[in-house]
Amino acid sequence: MTKMRVNPNRMELLKLKRRGDVAKRGHKLLKDKFDELLKEFIARISENRRLRAEVEAELKSAYGLFAVARAEAGRAAITQALLAGEPSELLDTSEKSVMSVHVPIFEQRELAEPGGYSFSTLPVVLDEALARLAAVAPRMLELAEREKAIELLAAEIERTRRRVNALEYVLMPSIAETIKDIQMKLDEAERGNLTRLMKVKDIIAAQEAAGEQ
Amino acid sequence: MAKIAVVGDSTSVAGFRPLGFAVFPVEHAEQARALWARLSAGEYGVVFMTEPVYEAMEDLIAEAMDQPVPAVTVIPGAGSAGGVGEAKINRAIERALGTSVLIREEED
Repeated sequence: MTKMRVNPNRMELLKLKRRGDVAKRGHKLLKDKFDELLKEFIARISENRRLRAEVEAELKSAYGLFAVARAEAGRAAITQALLAGEPSELLDTSEKSVMSVHVPIFEQRELAEPGGYSFSTLPVVLDEALARLAAVAPRMLELAEREKAIELLAAEIERTRRRVNALEYVLMPSIAETIKDIQMKLDEAERGNLTRLMKVKDIIAAQEAAGEQ
Repeated sequence: MAKIAVVGDSTSVAGFRPLGFAVFPVEHAEQARALWARLSAGEYGVVFMTEPVYEAMEDLIAEAMDQPVPAVTVIPGAGSAGGVGEAKINRAIERALGTSVLIREEED
């Protein structure tokens, strides 16, 4: 692991030790966040898979009913019948925070009442098809809400994992190594100092001995 | 307050119109891609799209993936093979966990 380029003195040593403590605390926090995110995420996945399968099956059966209606009344007549209706504000959106990830919440308002087509010329199966679509609509919205939450959580999990790994495998080892390096240099200087003092003491003692003679 | 958009071939999506959804029938890929700017502007909270449409504009949608709205959700189209919506979620799982094998094993 790469050492940092710092001066090997006590000042830097203290600073690095403090940084190391902060990094360790941050790492622990992020790791907890990561674990919690993962828990949320996994809990949502299997639930989502079931919901999606249901919604897809029901949509397909509704499509089937529309196909029957088309076969009975003719494509043009059905297309024309379905032209009625205006896009309306069907949705109340708000946000919720899951582990500080902002996930959307969709609340559905009353769907428009299908109509505006002739009951006498169009097959009854068209009504049924529309009713089936209307019935599956709330669950489609739930699916949309859940899938979006899953995607947002996935992005956050990826980000958090990167941070955790960067701290664990890059920053913390590099701080630890730098601390060790500074400590060694300081010890070395300390030893150098000690031998110098001993040497000086010897010289002074020799000089004093020479002066007494 | 937001609207719900449905994008797809007209056979699949026509039925949503009487219910108050904003329906965008598209016939080919360029048409769908041209719609995206409008769909992602914030007017629509949820965008449902059929599988071929999603596949045609996947790269555009991926850019907006980290925003809360619009929530793009894949629905099956009439007569499409299926599995695209599932794949989309599996990609998210892979992104989060680095693998999607784990979850499948749990289900078995």
